[in-house]
Amino acid sequence: MSKPADLVQGTLDLLLLKIVALEPLHAWAISQRLKQVSGEVLQVSDGSLYPALHKLEQEGWIKAEWKVTENGRRAKFYSLTRPGRRAFEREAANWERLSGAISQVVRLSEA
Amino acid sequence: MLEARWLRRVTLRLRTLFQRDRVERELEAEFQFHMDQRIELEIARGLSPAEARLAALRAMDGLQQRKEECRDMRRVNRIDDLWRDLQYAGRSLHRSPGFTTLTVLIMALGIGGNTAVFSLVNQILLHPPGVSEPQRIAVVRTKYAKLNLDFELASPPALADARANKQIFEHAGAARLLSINYADRSVPVRLPGAAVSAEWFDVFGARPSLGRVFTADEDQPNANRVVVLAYDAWLRLFGGDPGVVGRTIELNQQPYEMIGVMGRDFHQPRAVDVWVPLALPPQAFASQNWFNGSLSVMFRTQPEVSFAQAEAWLKWNAERVAAAAPSNLRGLVKNWGWGMRASRFADSNAGNTKTPMLILLGAVGLVLLIACANIAGLMLARTSARTRELAVRAALGAGRGRLLRQILSESLVLALAGGVAGVLLARGSMKLLLRLAPESAVSGLAARLDVFVLLFATITTLAAGLFFGLAPAWQSSRVDPYHALKRGGRGVSGARQGLRSGLVVAEAALALVLLVAAGLFLRSFARLQTVNPGFDPRGVVTAAYSLPPASANPVKQAAFARNVLDHLQGAKGVTAASIGWPIPFSNDLEGAAFRIEGRSLPAGEAVPQGERRWVTPDYLRTLRIRLERGRFFGDLDRADTEPVLVIDETLARQYWPDEDPLGKRIQPMSGEGWYTIVGTVDHVMQSDLAGDTGRGVFYASLYQRPTAMGSILVKTSGDRSAAAAAIRDAVRAADPKLPLYDIKPMEALLANSLAPRRFAMRLLGLFAAAALLLAALGLYGVLTFAVTERTREIGIRIALGAERGALLRLVVGQGLRLAAAGVAIGIAAAGLFGRLIESQLFEVRAFDPLTIAVMVCALMAAALLASWLPARRAMRADPAVTLRYE
Repeated sequence: MSKPADLVQGTLDLLLLKIVALEPLHAWAISQRLKQVSGEVLQVSDGSLYPALHKLEQEGWIKAEWKVTENGRRAKFYSLTRPGRRAFEREAANWERLSGAISQVVRLSEA
Repeated sequence: MLEARWLRRVTLRLRTLFQRDRVERELEAEFQFHMDQRIELEIARGLSPAEARLAALRAMDGLQQRKEECRDMRRVNRIDDLWRDLQYAGRSLHRSPGFTTLTVLIMALGIGGNTAVFSLVNQILLHPPGVSEPQRIAVVRTKYAKLNLDFELASPPALADARANKQIFEHAGAARLLSINYADRSVPVRLPGAAVSAEWFDVFGARPSLGRVFTADEDQPNANRVVVLAYDAWLRLFGGDPGVVGRTIELNQQPYEMIGVMGRDFHQPRAVDVWVPLALPPQAFASQNWFNGSLSVMFRTQPEVSFAQAEAWLKWNAERVAAAAPSNLRGLVKNWGWGMRASRFADSNAGNTKTPMLILLGAVGLVLLIACANIAGLMLARTSARTRELAVRAALGAGRGRLLRQILSESLVLALAGGVAGVLLARGSMKLLLRLAPESAVSGLAARLDVFVLLFATITTLAAGLFFGLAPAWQSSRVDPYHALKRGGRGVSGARQGLRSGLVVAEAALALVLLVAAGLFLRSFARLQTVNPGFDPRGVVTAAYSLPPASANPVKQAAFARNVLDHLQGAKGVTAASIGWPIPFSNDLEGAAFRIEGRSLPAGEAVPQGERRWVTPDYLRTLRIRLERGRFFGDLDRADTEPVLVIDETLARQYWPDEDPLGKRIQPMSGEGWYTIVGTVDHVMQSDLAGDTGRGVFYASLYQRPTAMGSILVKTSGDRSAAAAAIRDAVRAADPKLPLYDIKPMEALLANSLAPRRFAMRLLGLFAAAALLLAALGLYGVLTFAVTERTREIGIRIALGAERGALLRLVVGQGLRLAAAGVAIGIAAAGLFGRLIESQLFEVRAFDPLTIAVMVCALMAAALLASWLPARRAMRADPAVTLRYE
């Protein structure tokens, strides 16, 4: 269950939207941040990160800008757009509902 | 807000399309940045730079594939890829001109043939030219169930009732064929014409290209001296002079004002040159005329009314009329089983060519199917030779779908090139078809590519491209780069060879189906030519005339006939001359019911009936029809002597099975007196060698009962054109203003009756030959390829001392096994296909062992030749060369 590749379908988008909502980041930093804030539980493989980001960009939910990093290299920074924020809110609400429901089912005491 | 998002998305897509290089560079840079970061991290964890690099690549799990996935996310990839695929396909096809030319040629022939045949089907069955919305037109039929009669004729009251019912019918029109003598020129000509009611053109939605058509006021007796010209007649007679509208011409010795020229495509009724108003008098619409069906009546239904509704009304109305029939006609209605129904215009228009046309369309479709299988085989061979190239592309990140699309786009390019060439070819083949096709079926049709034909060509082309591209595309998308590259791209999977063998088997099977069908048609045709029509057409020349209404006088008509025959008696080379009407195989029939003296008709019994003919005394001698008993007509049977008839054996058997008909008296129901039967003659076929109508014939003397129309028959021992000239001279001497038409040898009339069959037979033969050629080509291709692939194996075998004869047997055996498998399937399929064409066969069973055996031999011979050529190549392989070549 803890293997990163097993992220529930669709949740990767949600996580990525949340991370870039905090501040504009480049892809490498996004993967590091995700690992860090989830206490190493959630990891995105290098391979699946880019297609996901490119998809969100094409959807118009995040936008990309080339900026200089702290160690002086140019990198592609992603930030959330307004439609992206609404999409995130929608997805987050969905997630709350779904995970709440699942927790309830899981916590059912056996008779 | 929503718009903003769409704007952003569109901008991104456009950027990807038009700034591809920049977008690509950014993608590279982004991944490079990531890899650098990862390598840095791994080095910090203590790995060597080289190890760190490997670890970074592993973490990415296929760098090129990931980049490709990112590209896929851009969506426009599809357009972009399609364009690039097409370019790539074009380049790759350009590199193998032999393959490309062959494939495009096969496709062009397939599409060209299908388009041409479809254009005929389209013009005959689906969209007759010059007719708008043919599905809304119904043709009225009168049926005499008890007489087993059913024809496309109706009466004036039927027309009036439909014209009054605006809820169901938008327009109703009627036509009657006319023979018009046009004498404005030095040589009198006969124009086929039609008298039509005012709404006739509206029924077909036809508009004049010049002037106008009839008004309702002109469709009245004595107000009807106006004429509308057919476009072709206008060109022929007046050189397309627009000034003719308003001018007067003389038709049947009466002046007519030309008021309009019809649209180029309108030919209803078929092949007429002029239309004049029908101008029925008011009394024609009286209810006792309900059963005088002599008009061709057609309806155009209201847009929302279906054909079934229109037909239901027609039947209901007929029942109403039958129930209310006046007492003197009620017996007739009951005894004959009178009723009305409708047929769809397209079916009636196609007539008996419908089934042959559909068979030909099916056959040419099978040829295209074989062509597709053939091209699929060639493409499979090609993709398997390109395994290495495809493997490299797969290793570089092309997904399965991408490879699939690439091969498909190659087949699409081939199909489109073939389709375009095919459509260009179709015009030529349409002209050829129209020339080969029976005149009666295609008169008025043109070799034209309309929207429907182009649509058909496009759909067929795309379907064919998809069909022959799918198998190779599927195969190529299963290329496993690892194994393919390791083996150096030489290996061929057994499955691929199996697929190609399967295609060859299918081709052989389909080719056999077509060969057998063509064989069955050929045998039927050969049988038909040995049928004895009951008379001897050899050396007989015929010419038809139609005396104008001005000489509608029995004395004048008889005098004309005698005059013409007197002139012909002495003519050089003429051994016998007579006049008859209608003559056999002229497509004119004159059915008549009669009463037999001394017999009363039980209620519900069918009325006696037969075909009626008017002939002069020498008719039997001219056509060599045998007199069975009694006497034939003589010069002394005149208007004022006892009316006499001669009947044929069929009529005698039908109505006097146990009696002697001689001396018996009958009365035709057309209101004439009694006739005495004075002789019996042999039966003569009426119009179709393949099937007799089964109706008997009774002959009347044309001198005793003269007719306005007639066909002059001359038997000559010499030159036919001299006989035709003699007929012309005789007629000119009798009446210099009378035109002759349909001047033809009697044998041509018989041949014409077989024209639809000859057309179908020739075309099927052509398709079968094409199918055989394609199947042989397919087999040749597969074996050649197999031999090339097995060059090494063959070289080793030869080096190890294998006999060349054994190699020959190996390759030829493989070819014959494939063909034999095709034959087995083909025989079963031919049995099924035979049922579809059964109705078109004559004295040959649909499953004819002889035909099948001959065609199997032909197919196997072709297979032998197709496998012998590659086998010879294998045999000649030099082991030293082939082994080194590896």
